[in-house]
Amino acid sequence: MIEVSGLTKRYGTFTAVRDLSFTVQPGEVLGLVGPNGAGKTSTLRSLAGIIPANAGRIHIHGVDLGTDPVSAKRQLAFFPDEPRLFEYLTVRQHLNFVARIYGVTDYAALAQPLLEELEIADKADQLPSELSRGMKQKLAIACGLLHSPRVMFFDEPLTGLDPLGIRRMKDSILSRARAGAAIVLSSHLLHLLEEVCSHVLILKKGEKIAHGTLAEISAQFAHGENNVSLEEIFIRATGGTEN
Amino acid sequence: MLGALLYLRLTSLKNITLSRLRRLKQPKYFLGAAVGVAYFYFMLFRRFSGGSTSLAGLPSSLSAGLAPTYNFTATLSIFGALVLLAIVLFTWALPKEKPGLPFTEAEVAFLFPAPISRRRLIHFRLAGAQIRILFSAVIFTLISRGWSFLGGGALTHVLGWWLILTTLNLHFTGAALTINRHIDNGANPVIRRWLILAGVALLLLVSTLSILKAAPSFPDGNVGPGDIADWLARCIDSGPLHWLLIPGKLVIAPFLAANSSEFFRTVGPAALILIGHYFWVARQEASFEEASIAYAEKRAARLARVRDGTYRLGQAKARREPFSLRVPGRAELAFLWKNLLGTQPYFHARVWLGCALLISIAVPWIVRSEHQKLGANFIITFSAIFSAYTLLLGPQLARQDLRSDLVHADILKTYPLAGWQIILGEILTPIAILTGLLWLNLLAQVLALAPMADTISWLTPGFRFTASLCIGAMIPVLCALQLLIPNAAALLFPAWFQSTRQRSGGIDMIGQRLIFVFGQLLVILLSLFPAILGAALVIFASQWLIGTCAAVILGTLVALTILGAEIACGLWWLGERFDKFDLATELRA
Repeated sequence: MIEVSGLTKRYGTFTAVRDLSFTVQPGEVLGLVGPNGAGKTSTLRSLAGIIPANAGRIHIHGVDLGTDPVSAKRQLAFFPDEPRLFEYLTVRQHLNFVARIYGVTDYAALAQPLLEELEIADKADQLPSELSRGMKQKLAIACGLLHSPRVMFFDEPLTGLDPLGIRRMKDSILSRARAGAAIVLSSHLLHLLEEVCSHVLILKKGEKIAHGTLAEISAQFAHGENNVSLEEIFIRATGGTEN
Repeated sequence: MLGALLYLRLTSLKNITLSRLRRLKQPKYFLGAAVGVAYFYFMLFRRFSGGSTSLAGLPSSLSAGLAPTYNFTATLSIFGALVLLAIVLFTWALPKEKPGLPFTEAEVAFLFPAPISRRRLIHFRLAGAQIRILFSAVIFTLISRGWSFLGGGALTHVLGWWLILTTLNLHFTGAALTINRHIDNGANPVIRRWLILAGVALLLLVSTLSILKAAPSFPDGNVGPGDIADWLARCIDSGPLHWLLIPGKLVIAPFLAANSSEFFRTVGPAALILIGHYFWVARQEASFEEASIAYAEKRAARLARVRDGTYRLGQAKARREPFSLRVPGRAELAFLWKNLLGTQPYFHARVWLGCALLISIAVPWIVRSEHQKLGANFIITFSAIFSAYTLLLGPQLARQDLRSDLVHADILKTYPLAGWQIILGEILTPIAILTGLLWLNLLAQVLALAPMADTISWLTPGFRFTASLCIGAMIPVLCALQLLIPNAAALLFPAWFQSTRQRSGGIDMIGQRLIFVFGQLLVILLSLFPAILGAALVIFASQWLIGTCAAVILGTLVALTILGAEIACGLWWLGERFDKFDLATELRA
């Protein structure tokens, strides 16, 4: 479970995220949307412990990220938009390294099925430079899933993937949610929200505009009209501008 | 057409100069420029105003050994010609495929589809290189101005350097075009390369045999570095090498000319070689476009990797793990394991042990040979210089730590580790590499010192053993301390660090790098002071009671404790800093 209360992130005098509060229960997928500069990435990076928040509290599976970051980070996985891999480590060596960092003692038994599920078992001895963009993404996911995280953060998870890769990524997110993970993803792609997210949080200029299930958000901004598209709802919610 | 190409070259030069002047508005570039200018003034320009002194710029011991005995210019001519010959041979032997001419991606995109003949493109390339060559000639002249024993003046030196560099540039271009033409005509690139390598091997064999057969006898008596250089030069300048070195000597001769009349006498043959090269290049009809496009793409990719901090020498290759990474275990060692995988394969325990074995056999053999004093002195001096450079400059070169991984900072920060653990893990690899190198040097020095025990009473085997053990124990700690500083700089001044690791030029960048080096020296001196003071006091106070060896051990333990505490504080503080670190924000600031 993810519990966020009063999260604020400032860069100098600029406030990127202001007094943000929400909860994501196990099995839920929360879509973080908003125009450019809305504070999506700052929110995700604060939740993952990459950058410290200026105010507020974040609990990851009941552990306070601010006071016990090491224990909190054991429960989470962060997937950046671009897979960040170590150039000189093969697929198998990546998993070995991550296993040692997270103390996954039975990693050998876990790694093989994971690689097979992600269809990169035959690439186990290859370097990232020998992998396609999609394969690299799969390796980054394998590294993130190896320690069985209960909380996952995806930043623009569909960037650079082909149609088949997109389909598989959506299935992967949904299957992890069904297994009980609490997931937050940020994306500009509204169809991803429709297909994957159980909840949506709309941000604008660092503030929460709306939060709820897709049906609740639609009802809030449809103003009684029928068949209003998600795109139209998004435009109405954000006022159609970045500012 | 040539006007358009000239416009491109001059406009680019003007714009790059303006952009570098504009960036001086930023304090980091302004300060860097100030330090860079000061450096050049004190190191180079001041020599002009200070007048020329004999053998200026050389260490006093070396100049004393050189000046009175022989003509150093002749020796320099032979060594210079040998270097040129080696460069020429490598130019022909190295290319595995068709070599490209050094065009940029933008030049390829704009000029290759344009209605410009190949010959014009080659001339554009040659003319473009002239700006760089002229600049290099001036810089080299400023540097070589210190070698005032050469004679000549600033103008003859600039012209001399220009002749050397332009001839080399023409040779590179001519060789690239010739190799392209041969491959286009059906020559197998692999066979071509092997034939040239076989030719080079044959040349080396014949030259070595010739030198062994007719080598001049090694000078007797008090042999100095000048006598050794002279003897080596006379060895080299014999047999087939004597004839092969003639073109190189002719090209270098104007630079080495002692006065104007000698310059005018020597410039003719050098100019003839240059003109011959020009006609060789200008008359070539070879397709270089395909190889040049590949070259431009590789160059652009390399530059991009340098900018994002992922550039390393050589291609990434999967290699054998340095040790088995078992789970569970200390997470810090996982970083050592990971970063060792990113280094060269020779950074492996077995290679280090092999080197140690080789040193253990070779050094005692050398120091017991006929010229034992010379051999021992050489090993001790060389090892001492190498150790000092390794300790001072090694941390700037061995960057398999946070500096390489800063691009992965987002991922590292999601790991369930305290900041200090990540910093410690990251610096373990350069510590291991530098420690290995320094231990090998220490071993060589200790073995080379053995014969001196006959004349120096206090250099007993016991003392040598104790001292080497203590120095050996200090080495990893000193390396750790040294490495904390550049890693701290990367975290504390990421914007500066980002700009200095890019290979862009400019006097401001030279100044920025100098500030980093001097800053590191200052911090290390301040850090070492309490440890040296503590150790000295303990040794001074205790040696009367417990003896010198025991006092040295006790002093070392004190120094290790103080340095260990400093490193622990440094790690904790940097870890805190890393926890709060956000590269994107720091670079935006």
